[in-house]
Amino acid sequence: MTNVQSTTAAPRAGVRQRPRRPLPVLIGDAGLTIGVALIVLPLVFTVLTSLRTSADVSDAPLGFPKSFTLDNFRAAYQSIHYGTSVVNSLVVLSLSAVITVIAGALAAYPLARLTRSWAGWVYRLFIAGSTVPVFVLIAPLYLLMRDLGLLDSYLGVVLIYAALNLPVAVFFYTSFFRQIPLELEEAAAIDGAGPLRTFFAILFPLLRPITATLATFLTLSIWNDLIIPLVFIQTAGRRTVMANAYSLVGTYSVDPTVLFPAALLGVAPLLVVFILLQREVVEGLTMGAVKS
Amino acid sequence: MIERKPLVAGAFIAPALALYLLLVIYPLARGTQLSLTDSKVGNAADFVGLANYQTMWHDPAFWRALGITVSYAVVVVVLQNAIGLVLARALYLRPRARRVAGVLILMPTLMSAVMSGFVWSSLLAPNGALTSLLDALGLHSLTRIWLGDPHTALWSIAAVNVWMFAGYSAAIFLAGYMNMPREVLDAAQVDGASGARRFISIEWPLLAPALTVNVTLALIGSLKVFDLPLVMTNGGPAGSTETMSMLIYTMLFRGGGSFAYGAAIAMMLLVVVVVFAGTVQKVLRLREERL
Repeated sequence: MTNVQSTTAAPRAGVRQRPRRPLPVLIGDAGLTIGVALIVLPLVFTVLTSLRTSADVSDAPLGFPKSFTLDNFRAAYQSIHYGTSVVNSLVVLSLSAVITVIAGALAAYPLARLTRSWAGWVYRLFIAGSTVPVFVLIAPLYLLMRDLGLLDSYLGVVLIYAALNLPVAVFFYTSFFRQIPLELEEAAAIDGAGPLRTFFAILFPLLRPITATLATFLTLSIWNDLIIPLVFIQTAGRRTVMANAYSLVGTYSVDPTVLFPAALLGVAPLLVVFILLQREVVEGLTMGAVKS
Repeated sequence: MIERKPLVAGAFIAPALALYLLLVIYPLARGTQLSLTDSKVGNAADFVGLANYQTMWHDPAFWRALGITVSYAVVVVVLQNAIGLVLARALYLRPRARRVAGVLILMPTLMSAVMSGFVWSSLLAPNGALTSLLDALGLHSLTRIWLGDPHTALWSIAAVNVWMFAGYSAAIFLAGYMNMPREVLDAAQVDGASGARRFISIEWPLLAPALTVNVTLALIGSLKVFDLPLVMTNGGPAGSTETMSMLIYTMLFRGGGSFAYGAAIAMMLLVVVVVFAGTVQKVLRLREERL
């Protein structure tokens, strides 16, 4: 029955309660399950292995867990200075995100409204920056930060992140401002509000959804970045989670009970954000794809 | 009404523009200038013209890094998009699986390259889980020293890269699927077009914008790949995973000995990214217009 159907009829829309699924659909089901499993199982394995003692793991790496311990997490917590590192990451992340959001939104407003050619050039200059890899800038930035006395400081790293993310912010806010009708500003002008007041009291609140999307995007990219803190911060006590975690490389070879819990601690805060703000994260990741 | 007050408009743009000029545009200019000197650590440098670029032309390490970077990018872009597309279509056709599976496949994307590198360094180690798994399945002959063999190390890292972002590509393709006009898809189904036929003549053309975004993002990301090889192989074995970014980093900060030469290689990386990403984007955009 199923075989006959599968060769003759394609699945029809609107027929929900079909008792047996045709063969191509079943093959698709199996393929999807295998694909999702290949993506997710390494993570499940990572969690399970992290909770076993290292003796149990080396006995049977793939075996059923015979032990349960949180010691691996305790050790990883200490070896990557997790508490301090998280605070450092949060400070750097929140300061640079605030600067990017405010400076980006302020600049995007006139860039979206002005029709003069210089505004077009400034906009294009910002957008061009999004293709410049950070490795192209790293040597001169290092010299600049050294000359400004900002090596090994939060401020230097914060300013670098803010500047590197401005192209994305300007791009998104500009396209968003273009969708806001002019009447709002005209009404505000009639009521006697100046440009700053109009911006902060009327327009900025309208940007909340896209700011949330942008903020999750910035969170992912700054939290996960390695190269900037690696180059610009030397003191371990000031380094971010990724930079301090990187110091594990080489010292502990490839023992899973050392590396796995460290990796899970590194991604844990993002997982919390993901679970709380699922929609914003998916949008933040796929922004741009939906446009056009 | 900001468009009638150029001074106010200028004041709004000023903070962002100042930051951007100081930390992106000026370094770009200074990097170019640096690459034309003999600077060791940035002090007391003499202008040497194109000497660094001449050195590069005869430097096998540079050509190897360029070859590694480009082939890595090609493999990652193709595999990541192919797998992402298959996943996206499967999820699109299964609305009930979509909710949970769509979230699950994004999990590796949240992980940083450092963290993924930790996990896979261990999984791919000679006595790691993958070897145990292949042994348990009776496939011992397939086991390799994945990260220790110059023939497999780069492709192992590429596989990890694809593992991280295949779900991300799928999410973008899925967004493309969700944007398709329902009437067209329904009409095709009512007409009884087969799945393959619907994909080729309707879905694939309509996915053009999503494909452009996906290919561009994957290309730019993989051409500058750094963290994964740094964590998993440190550029080895025998330099087989030393990408351009790795080479730049070594020249600049790991005793490579020449700041100016590192800056010159960085300029070449910029050229590679602009040429590849620019060409691909142009081609894909033209294709979007034709469709």
